[in-house]
Amino acid sequence: MQDKDVKRSADYVVGQEKRLAEIITQMDILPLVKPVLQAGADSVRITDERENTIWSSGAGAVEDSIEISMPLYLEGEVVGLLHVTAPFTQESRLRRLAELLLESLRIILVNNLKMMLTSEVHTTVISQSYDELLEINRRLSVSERRYRDLAENLEIKVAERTEELKRAHSRLLQQEKMASIGQLAAGVAHEINNPLGFISSNLQTMGKYVARFIAMLEFYRTALADRVDNVELVESARRKWQELKIDMVRIDAVDLVSQSLEGAERVKKIVSNLKGFSHVEDVEQFPADLNSEIDKTLTVLSHEISDDTEIIRNYEPLPDFLCNPALLCQVFLNLILNALQLHKKGLRLEITTLSDGKNILLTFADNGPGIPENIRNRVFEPFYTTKDVGSGTGMGLTVAYDIVTGYGGTIDVNCPEGGGSTFSIVLPIIRGK
Amino acid sequence: MIEYDEFDKRMVLKLVYYGPALSGKTTNLLQLHDLLAREGRGDLMVLDTADDRTLFFDLLPFFLVAPSGLKIKIKVYTVPGQVRHDATRKAVLQRADGVAFIADSQLTQSCNNVESFENLEKNLAFVGLDAGTIPLVIQFNKRDLPDILPEAEIRQTWSPTGIPIRMASALNGIGVIDTFATLAGIAYDHLDLRYRLNVDHGLDRSEFLRKLTASTED
Ligand SMILES: Nc1nc2c(ncn2[C@@H]2O[C@H](COP(=O)(O)OP(=O)(O)OP(=O)(O)O)[C@@H](O)[C@H]2O)c(=O)[nH]1
Ligand SMILES: [Mg+2]
Repeated sequence: MQDKDVKRSADYVVGQEKRLAEIITQMDILPLVKPVLQAGADSVRITDERENTIWSSGAGAVEDSIEISMPLYLEGEVVGLLHVTAPFTQESRLRRLAELLLESLRIILVNNLKMMLTSEVHTTVISQSYDELLEINRRLSVSERRYRDLAENLEIKVAERTEELKRAHSRLLQQEKMASIGQLAAGVAHEINNPLGFISSNLQTMGKYVARFIAMLEFYRTALADRVDNVELVESARRKWQELKIDMVRIDAVDLVSQSLEGAERVKKIVSNLKGFSHVEDVEQFPADLNSEIDKTLTVLSHEISDDTEIIRNYEPLPDFLCNPALLCQVFLNLILNALQLHKKGLRLEITTLSDGKNILLTFADNGPGIPENIRNRVFEPFYTTKDVGSGTGMGLTVAYDIVTGYGGTIDVNCPEGGGSTFSIVLPIIRGK
Repeated sequence: MIEYDEFDKRMVLKLVYYGPALSGKTTNLLQLHDLLAREGRGDLMVLDTADDRTLFFDLLPFFLVAPSGLKIKIKVYTVPGQVRHDATRKAVLQRADGVAFIADSQLTQSCNNVESFENLEKNLAFVGLDAGTIPLVIQFNKRDLPDILPEAEIRQTWSPTGIPIRMASALNGIGVIDTFATLAGIAYDHLDLRYRLNVDHGLDRSEFLRKLTASTED
């Protein structure tokens, strides 16, 4: 801007001086001078202030002639001279004519100057305004670009934030759901644990008592067998023994008790898994064996798994993974549920775990219908569901995605040619805080 | 300064009458033209006006010759006061040697005065002139009207700035020459420092002012 100014002021400054010859032209002078010559002047000559002739007309000096010279003023300054030569005899008439010519020239001069000034300042103003407009335009386009960038980024940012919020929201929902399920499970487990305690300890006592009954029966039988004096009693005891199938009962009773104990033991395990699964009490991270976490999840889901479902566990021993196991159980739960719900009949779910020392790789491969290519990258989006409305929240995979990426891992889905989907999770064992 | 030709011994100065629309800038020049002697003064040139509002500028030129032979032309300009003619104001303000700010004394015009003064400062900076040092006079015009800022108040406001303040009623020719002479005087002081008008050219301050402001009555 400043440079342009300097340049412009070098081009033109309001007030720049003009020479007489610049202001007045031959065209202006001629019609004024003609009548003066016709009226008897020998010559008319106009010079600038240094006596350089600008215009002259008529013959040179003639004998007996007289020269009348008058100054031409412009802006208070003498800018030229008007010379009129006339025969001596015509002097006074021509002097008046010369004065008239001078006045006409002055008027023309002022008018021309006015026109020049007007057009000059007009041009300057226009070009200056034009320059200013250009500058304004340039600034506008710069700021417009900035705003456009901003707006574009803003859209992206808003989209990102919205996505984040959606995820956070869904995670919260899911976590709340899990927490309440966990609390419920923990409550139920607690309620079951007490009676289960009675049952198993009573069963154990019962087992001992059964052994005593059997021992007592054996004692009677052996003692009776030696009584040859009372054959009748021996015989009726043997018949009763047979009638009551004591041989079988004796064995079965022991089995029943031990089987019941086993059953109670299993209930106990389920209950403890239920408690472990909900992890209501742990918020802290601790090293967990993911194989056993997957097992826990499967246990919890056992009622969802129908008889014709085949679950294959290809577990390799895994290094401990530092995590909040409840969160990973959610991942497993969601992936397994996803498979179970997609494909109810003849489902085959193959769970593979392995580790290369750096990462833990988990795959959940089902033989379901697979996910169409065009929506495959959308399945981790919040609220995206292919299931019928009501059967799924559309958040399971989103939550899984968030938890896995939260541990610095990745989760992907692949659908091999032959059908089915394979979800692969890679979790880095050592990760930056 | 518009032009200084040492060889030609010519100096062309520029004084600018600045101020809000309708404050009386053109009137000041008209009055100067009428009040000052024809000797050494050119014609008043009023470039196109629309309804008496200046579109481009008015110009009243003065011409004098110092004893040394130095020819001095002083071109006195008015700018158009209307806000929309800012580009013209900038163009006219270029290379000014002094500014007379014509304020409208009417109470209703206070805001316009302030805006115009700020515009002057902005435009001086724009054309590379220093608002703090350029010769400047402020004229409070239209003192003949009712509902005007009291003089005491004006002086109280402006005296700390050191800028000369003049009261005028341009329409009645009062304070017009005073304002002009004050501006010309300060402009002379500035020029004298640099071009040694007195020492080198034999032109002292009072002679300079006398030549410029010789009135028709003298
Ligand atoms: N009462 C009164 N009116 C004045 C005085 N000076 C100027 N005026 C009037 O104010 C009006 C505007 O005056 P101008 O001199 O044209 O104003 P300007 O500052 O040149 O205005 P622009 O060219 O638009 O910037 C005219 O009607 C003048 O007659 C004054 O001292 N007293
Ligand atoms: Mg005007």
